[in-house]
Amino acid sequence: MSNIKIKSKNLNVYYGDKQALFDVNLDLNEKEVTALIGPSGCGKSTFIRCINRMNDVIDICKVTGNIEMDGMNINDKDLDVVSLRERVGMVFQKPNPFPKSIYDNISYGPKIHGKGETKSELDQIVENSLKKSALWEEVKDRLDEPGTSLSGGQQQRLCIARAISVNPEVILMDEPCSALDPIATAKIEELIDELKKTYTIVIVTHSMAQAVRVSQKTGFFHLGKLIEVGKTEKIFKNPDNKMTQDYITGRFG
Amino acid sequence: MTKEERLKKRHRAEKRFRFYGLTSIFVALLFVIILVQNIFSKGSSAFKKTVISTEVFFDQELLEIQNGASQEEIMEADFYDIMIENLIKAYPAKDRDEEDELLKLFSGDAEIEIKKAFLNDNNLIGQTITLDLTASDDIDQLHKGNYPRDLPEERRRISDFQLVIYDYFVENKKISKNFNNYFFNNGDSRDPELAGIGGALVGSFYSILICLLLAFPVAVLASIYLEEFAPKNKITDFIEININNLAAVPSIVYGLLALQILLATIQLPRSTPLVAGITLALMTLPRIIIPCRASLKAVPPSIREGALAVGASKFQSVFHHVVPLALPGTLSGTIIGLAQALGETAPLILIGMVAFVVDIPSSPVDPSSSLPVQVYLWSESAERGFVEKTSATIMMLLSFLIVMNFIAVYLRQKFEKRWN
Ligand SMILES: Nc1ncnc2c1ncn2[C@@H]1O[C@H](COP(=O)(O)OP(=O)(O)OP(=O)(O)O)[C@@H](O)[C@H]1O
Ligand SMILES: [Mg+2]
Repeated sequence: MSNIKIKSKNLNVYYGDKQALFDVNLDLNEKEVTALIGPSGCGKSTFIRCINRMNDVIDICKVTGNIEMDGMNINDKDLDVVSLRERVGMVFQKPNPFPKSIYDNISYGPKIHGKGETKSELDQIVENSLKKSALWEEVKDRLDEPGTSLSGGQQQRLCIARAISVNPEVILMDEPCSALDPIATAKIEELIDELKKTYTIVIVTHSMAQAVRVSQKTGFFHLGKLIEVGKTEKIFKNPDNKMTQDYITGRFG
Repeated sequence: MTKEERLKKRHRAEKRFRFYGLTSIFVALLFVIILVQNIFSKGSSAFKKTVISTEVFFDQELLEIQNGASQEEIMEADFYDIMIENLIKAYPAKDRDEEDELLKLFSGDAEIEIKKAFLNDNNLIGQTITLDLTASDDIDQLHKGNYPRDLPEERRRISDFQLVIYDYFVENKKISKNFNNYFFNNGDSRDPELAGIGGALVGSFYSILICLLLAFPVAVLASIYLEEFAPKNKITDFIEININNLAAVPSIVYGLLALQILLATIQLPRSTPLVAGITLALMTLPRIIIPCRASLKAVPPSIREGALAVGASKFQSVFHHVVPLALPGTLSGTIIGLAQALGETAPLILIGMVAFVVDIPSSPVDPSSSLPVQVYLWSESAERGFVEKTSATIMMLLSFLIVMNFIAVYLRQKFEKRWN
């Protein structure tokens, strides 16, 4: 049994008057991939955005309850979100590289956190991050080209490299493959398999097959509630809940 | 209706629409062409001035200075007698009256022009040189063909005798057209042949500079704060609405405001580029804030989120990513705002920039004119020479505006980043 990295306790989220998450209790294991599945609008994105406090930027969003990472309460008002986000990276549904060079895309994070004092240290970080995200071979000769000139799949791997560059402990991925073709998707999945040796990963996905392929643990959300969570094999082979069963067999969603 | 009929109808509608569109473009172009043609045909002659090539003999008897005199000595010396003695020899006049009429064919600056020649070469005493002396406005306009000579004498500003002299000059090839340096170097003058936009150019430059220095930083900071940091609530909504209202306030109202506050209350010097610049800055501020906020808004939220997600602070995400991306749009909005300010006349008239200013301002607190006000001033003048000067000033103003707008478009197209 692996260690618990992140633990949410009675997590409730409100957008204005509308409650989006109801008493979510979910544990994420260290160096494992946890997949979150569920029909559109059930609160998967809302949940992972609580982990790096990304919901802070939404004025009307209010979060109650606890999320602990290594015993520290993420939801503490006094917590410094900058250092939190240094430890919890995020990859978005749509690739969103900065309209800057490939090099600058990756060196930006380390720079603002004071990692990589010298040019050669930065170069090293950029190279390592690109290698870890399996992009190095494709871009090593054109690091000064704009990140936006890459293909969709390459852009997404660039965004993963950007997340890795600050050496986080957790990586959140919100439907990272939804804008990609099957080949690019396969590459990202391979990558996730590799990354889980070092990082704790949470991935939101609409693809049951993908959840089965990449994750060790799966959580099923419905209408803001965490309906069922357990080992991926178990959830997909014989879930306890009827609703889970219906969802994974495609009877609703 | 059959399918074919409907198809035909649709094609007809498309054709009709094309026709309407082309007609409107054509009409609009026609107006522009008429306007430009009108201004050009009237104004282009102002860039040349008529000169009379005159022999000038530097007679020692008429001058109290010697060859090799110093700059100051020459500046102080009187060249009046030299001028008179030489100019009356330009044509064999019979008596004092005829000499007077002859002298009136030269500009009021003939003495200064002769002095300048001596300043260039202070060993001219005892020598004769040929100088191109600026002709008076009447001759200038006559020579440019702007003045009808077939009117009866009493309705003409030029006498029959002056026409005889003019024809004599033409016949002897003594009259010609040179580049009109006075138009660019001189300040305003009562004599059209000596009047120039030098003062107005410098005045406009100072005014726009002050306007830029005041309006740009304030507008950019206000936009960034409102767009990126301010909470979205009733107060910011109210501010937003009022910024839009301010941009629509007629410019003359800003003039009144400046009159009351800057001149009456704070007692800043009247008719100066300083006051003009502050007034224009007030007027331009909302006109810069609006495009600046629009270009900040156009930066996709995913860029902000991307920066925040790697641990950038709010401040860093705004200043490292959003602002640089919004900069081209902001700059082009600023330039267009400044171009509007450059052409603004009404508020400047209210703060006293209509004063008649001969000297070119050497600092923003000297009394001064500005290009559009100069247009207004000259368009009110009776002398024929000011007609071409008015149009020529409009040409200068328009070319500045075109250049500025061109830069704005260029910035936008060249530097605006495309994001997916
Ligand atoms: N910024 C917001 N303002 C108001 N309501 C929001 C906001 N973001 C999400 N919601 C609401 O919260 C609920 C959960 O949304 P969320 O984005 O977490 O769903 P999701 O599971 O990620 O869906 P999808 O699979 O479509 O991405 C939805 O009902 C949505 O309408
Ligand atoms: Mg989502």
